[in-house]
Amino acid sequence: MHSHRLSLMGAVLAAALFTAGCGPAEQRTAVPIGGASGAELAERQVFRRGNGAEPETLDPHRATSVTAGNIARDLFEGLTEMTPDGSVKPAAAESWTISEDSLVYTFRLRSGARWSNGDPVTAGDWLFSLRRAVDPATLSDYAAILYPIEGARAIVAGEAAPDTLGVQALDEQTLEIRLAAPTPYFLGLLTHSMSYPVHPPSVERHGERYARAGNLVSNGAYQLTEWVVQSHIRAVRNPYYWNDAETVINEVWYYPIDNQDAELRRYRTGELDMTEKVSSRQVDWIQRNLADEFVISPYFGTYYYGLNVTRAPFQGNRELRLALSMAIDRDVITERISGTGEIPAYSWVPPIPGYTQQLPEWAGWTQAEREAEARRLFEQSGHAAESPLVLELIYNTDDNHRRLATAIASMWQEVLGVETRLSNQEWKVFLQTRRERRQTQVFRSGWIGDYLDAFTFTELLHSTYGLNDTGYASERYDELVDTAALEADPARRRALLEEAERVLIDDHPIIPLYFYVTARLVKPWVGGYVPNIMDQHYTKNLYILKH
Amino acid sequence: MLRFTLNRLLGAIPTLLILIAVAFFLIRMAPGGPFDSERQLPPEIEANLRAAYNLDAPLHQQFLRYLADLARGDFGPSFQYRDFTVTELIASGFPVSLRLGGLALLLALVLGVTAGTLAAMRQNRAPDYAVMAVSMTGISVPNFVMAPLLVLVFAVLLGWLPAGGLGDGGWRHLLLPVICLALPQVAYIARLTRGSMIEVLRSHFIRTARAQGLAMHTIVLRHALKPALLPVVSFLGPAAAGLITGSVVIEQIFGLPGLGRYFVQGALNRDYTLVMGVVVFYGALIILFNFLVDLLYGWLDPRVKA
Amino acid sequence: MSTTPLLEVSDLHVRFTTPAGPVQAVAGLSFSLSASETLAIVGESGSGKTQAALALLGLLADNGRASGSARLEGEELIGQPARVLNRVRGARIGMVFQDPMTSLNPFLTIGDQMGQVLARHRPMARAAARAECCRLLDAVGISAAARRLTQYPHELSGGMRQRVMIAAALLCRPALLIADEPTTALDVTVQAQILALLGELRREFATAVLLITHDLGIVAGTCERMLVMQRGALVEQGTVDQVYAEPAHPYTRRLLAAAPRLDAPRSAAVPLPADSRMLLAAEEVSVRFRLPPERLFSRARELQAVSEVSLTVAERETLGIVGESGCGKSTLARALLRLVEPAAGRVQFDGRELTALDRTQLKAARRDLQLVFQDPLAALDPRMTVRDIVAEPLRTFRPELRAAEVTAEVTKILEEVGLEAAHLYRYPHQFSGGQCQRIGIARALILRPKLLVCDEPVSALDVTIQSQIINLLRDLQERFGLTLLFIAHDLAVVREISHRVMVMYLGRVVELAPVERLYASPEHPYTRALLAAVPIPDPERERNRVRTPLAGEPPSAFAPPSGCAFRTRCPHAIERCAEERPALRDYRGALVACHLAGKLGEPGRG
Repeated sequence: MHSHRLSLMGAVLAAALFTAGCGPAEQRTAVPIGGASGAELAERQVFRRGNGAEPETLDPHRATSVTAGNIARDLFEGLTEMTPDGSVKPAAAESWTISEDSLVYTFRLRSGARWSNGDPVTAGDWLFSLRRAVDPATLSDYAAILYPIEGARAIVAGEAAPDTLGVQALDEQTLEIRLAAPTPYFLGLLTHSMSYPVHPPSVERHGERYARAGNLVSNGAYQLTEWVVQSHIRAVRNPYYWNDAETVINEVWYYPIDNQDAELRRYRTGELDMTEKVSSRQVDWIQRNLADEFVISPYFGTYYYGLNVTRAPFQGNRELRLALSMAIDRDVITERISGTGEIPAYSWVPPIPGYTQQLPEWAGWTQAEREAEARRLFEQSGHAAESPLVLELIYNTDDNHRRLATAIASMWQEVLGVETRLSNQEWKVFLQTRRERRQTQVFRSGWIGDYLDAFTFTELLHSTYGLNDTGYASERYDELVDTAALEADPARRRALLEEAERVLIDDHPIIPLYFYVTARLVKPWVGGYVPNIMDQHYTKNLYILKH
Repeated sequence: MLRFTLNRLLGAIPTLLILIAVAFFLIRMAPGGPFDSERQLPPEIEANLRAAYNLDAPLHQQFLRYLADLARGDFGPSFQYRDFTVTELIASGFPVSLRLGGLALLLALVLGVTAGTLAAMRQNRAPDYAVMAVSMTGISVPNFVMAPLLVLVFAVLLGWLPAGGLGDGGWRHLLLPVICLALPQVAYIARLTRGSMIEVLRSHFIRTARAQGLAMHTIVLRHALKPALLPVVSFLGPAAAGLITGSVVIEQIFGLPGLGRYFVQGALNRDYTLVMGVVVFYGALIILFNFLVDLLYGWLDPRVKA
Repeated sequence: MSTTPLLEVSDLHVRFTTPAGPVQAVAGLSFSLSASETLAIVGESGSGKTQAALALLGLLADNGRASGSARLEGEELIGQPARVLNRVRGARIGMVFQDPMTSLNPFLTIGDQMGQVLARHRPMARAAARAECCRLLDAVGISAAARRLTQYPHELSGGMRQRVMIAAALLCRPALLIADEPTTALDVTVQAQILALLGELRREFATAVLLITHDLGIVAGTCERMLVMQRGALVEQGTVDQVYAEPAHPYTRRLLAAAPRLDAPRSAAVPLPADSRMLLAAEEVSVRFRLPPERLFSRARELQAVSEVSLTVAERETLGIVGESGCGKSTLARALLRLVEPAAGRVQFDGRELTALDRTQLKAARRDLQLVFQDPLAALDPRMTVRDIVAEPLRTFRPELRAAEVTAEVTKILEEVGLEAAHLYRYPHQFSGGQCQRIGIARALILRPKLLVCDEPVSALDVTIQSQIINLLRDLQERFGLTLLFIAHDLAVVREISHRVMVMYLGRVVELAPVERLYASPEHPYTRALLAAVPIPDPERERNRVRTPLAGEPPSAFAPPSGCAFRTRCPHAIERCAEERPALRDYRGALVACHLAGKLGEPGRG
């Protein structure tokens, strides 16, 4: 078949006719949808994307990595789906109702939804899946995501049976989920792979090998057909997907390429339609030569330096912490060092809808003013310029981190006369050192939000939170976070979270440096690509233009 | 012969055991564990994982259990690739590495021996200098520089070959990786062959052959090649080890699904079982390879003939 | 004889370009050789004799160039390309080299190596080629020829390999056979066999022979005419009889005079004081070596290198030890010094039991026991100056000496061995072989030892130098009151210096007697065979010598024959020899290990 120039109407019609005429296993030439109408589609609707590290598994309940998430998003469908603007829209659930007290969610499942083997997707399947996700036997790293569901925490800890989970199948098409506490971002959580359904008969038959090609039965727009570890993963369209008619791309190839230079080379030869990342060393070259294909957009993450506040010199020395933070010229960092359009960060939570960033007053100053204040605070902190302070800054081995650390060390040297010893460590060593908090003084870190809500950032610095490597423990902050966690009213909750951030920025146990961006190369013939802050892209929304 | 083989194989067991023990305790001594990540696991979940993978037992018990599993041919489950056992990963990665390494070795031998022989025959003349200069480059330019360079030229700029991946496993996908992997070995083998060939050509029995009026090609091929190859054969053991280490880099750069790549990923992820599996497997392979080299040596040199 | 000579060489020059400048190896050599004639080129090392022969075949090293003319049956050879020469090499001129151990390709079977020559020059069917190779092997006296074709050189003994070399050289019936020191690497009994073979083959194949040698004894017995070369130039030529009887050139006279000969009256050894006390005594010393398996898959082997040897050496005495290679003479010497540990037996030295000393005591005792090695250059560290080399033992045994005193000591000893103070700061490679050996002797003597063990000290040296070193040793013995253990394979050399001589065969002593007694009337059949095999530099006597060369070569030390080890080659062996090992018994002033001692009659000597 040749490519077509079709109107929206024609496309839908043609797809409907075509679907009717073809067996489910047959491939078909896709048709453009929506905004793409009028453009000419390529004959071969095959999408090949670089996908970073090899996914550790494609089992949605055991996967943790971004790269596994990229694939799971195509293979499975959650109850809800994230739109590019950050709002939640119905997906596997047609609609839902939320109880007055915000504790009971009742989902109406899409009628006619089917698994990739043709079986209908039932509320029982969802029940099975959510129980499996929190069952300790599943060995799910990410089970904590589902803790808002009633009973989940006890089940994960092995203190209760999985069937005590607060989920019920009211009938074939109705699923009820009860929460332990009001969780305003719960609908957003349901876009996470932990909440995806698995096909019960396949899981029972294949057990640990459920996620292998040939065994994996899924409910998303695509089904897994091939998985060669460290080589590629291939998925083809799922003919039983409820919205298959609007899916354009027939086949997706995910290539695990963790080296960004190699990824760029393969992109340049046309072996890839889209890269996962670009190396910051290549940004200049890309901006000169491939500017049209270079897509940069904000990402829900913060790059920061953590300060170990459990030990000298940072223990009880807010002035020193602030002085170090103010001495850093973030514009220089983002323009000259990271260089991919990152946004200078003076606060903790990246800019997202429904939340106001809590910038400190000095965010609006000139750098000269900041430096003057930094010197003043530094002196106040008991570290006069005459008795130089020696700091150790650890970061995980990486060229970008090293360049950044070098720049910051020289800023500290210049402004405050602080001498900084740089120490790089291999990733796992770094994580352990950081966690032990024994020698650490300053450490590099970054945080990417799990779901689109400020809380995913706020809770990180709660004194009891496992990942709080700074050792920050503020009663006021903890109280605000705890209260916000139980607050059902969105406006009040937002106010609590914003106040918590103000407390945090005032105490300054961390030095925010910049907010991440997603930077990748996308071939001009990839249609439907919409950058978004969670960097979630559904292949079913993309199409390949004729080229 | 049978007894010799048996002796050698039995003799390999202590070597392997030491290798296993050293690797086992070394990787566990490395800071960080398989389940550490930037997002720390809730303690209850981590406890579940450690129990499931037998990581909560005392170290010596873990070791004994590993040995017991190994004796049954079970390399254990991969910590990183949750859906696969290490045995499956080796079974899927090794054929790729073997093809890559085997072709590279073959290429290295053919090119290296030919170039070395030509250089020796034209000693201190243009072809000799050319071969030596090229091989010096081959030795001194590391893989991770050579490989991207070749990809840039032949894949990105000329568009003749793919820039990476195994594709259908055809020659176009293997050509550049094989060349990159073979180059340093080509260089070593060429220099080795040249040196030993020059020495052999100066030996008395070559003078005898010349005095018998034999043509130069007969002398080189029939008289000199076999003895000149002996150092090359001895080098095959180190060469194989070199190819294995080289493949770690090459597979990474070209995105080939071979064992070397598993090894790197395994080590970085503290995937104890995968790292152990690759180490034990390659260890056994190198022992086997050296045994074969010894046999080959015996076959080549009648003075140590079996 | 045809009127045109087979080979006409005129004004042949060979030059080598070396980093140190051009070296003239052959300067204006001219001679001619008729068909079927036997011509010897005689000269010492560096005389250019070998380079001249290599130049004829265009086989010079890369940095060598030949000029002048050499015509083989009228056809010019010098300056021809390999293409042309390859039709001559192996076809019309066959060549046999010195060392059969290295001159055959160890990686190819005998059949392959011979077959290639035929394939190149006389193409024929496979079977015919095989038959032809067998025929030639038969002709050179190799039994079971067909089987030999499938064997590799290492499976053959040295003598056999040289026979194979000769067979390969004769495969194409060359008009000329060039033999370059063909027997120098062989034991004397085997040398006799090969020389006899060459003589026979020359007659059978009507081949002219150009024999290149340093050994005047060989020339006397095998050649018709001879050339004498010195430093690249021809100094004398003539018939063998002529040259030996009336050497015209002083160099020739010197050569002839220097050659030790068994038939000449012996220059007296240093007289032995009558009341000389015992210095060294060995009782039933045995040495065993464990060797790695010969084949990959067999067990480790044990080699009995020395078996139950007893001896005594008096102060100021020289005991000569002779025997063919592998007879255990060097190992015995090392065992006496405990440089290898004897497996059994006792050694007494200067009243102390060496075999009972611990490491420290032994080290102290070594001061009185010094060694001089065979290859002088190899035994000296090339990176050390002569002063440091010679002074080395002082560092161990007299560390109290100051540098100036050391230098004085070294200068003194250098002068004693005929070197000068000017040599102190030079390096070994700047010296000739003879000078290097003097340095080695100086090093051994600097501590004024009582016993000096000389292991083949002159066998790597030219004959004129040999006699100088022998004289030096005798001289030093007298002056320092040295006791010498003198090990050599050359019976004539041993005769020159020894008071008593011990003959070894396969690790055992077969005869031990005062030197006059041994050379005048050897008792053991092996001693007799050895003496009979030594060529004498006198054409007249060589021609009249009745010779029955000893057959075969020494058996493997891994599997020595039962009873008398020599019985497998002994022309007189009787049944008893296989059953009972003969003990060393006194027979008229000689210790002899032979059941037939005294029953064999007078030895047949030339």
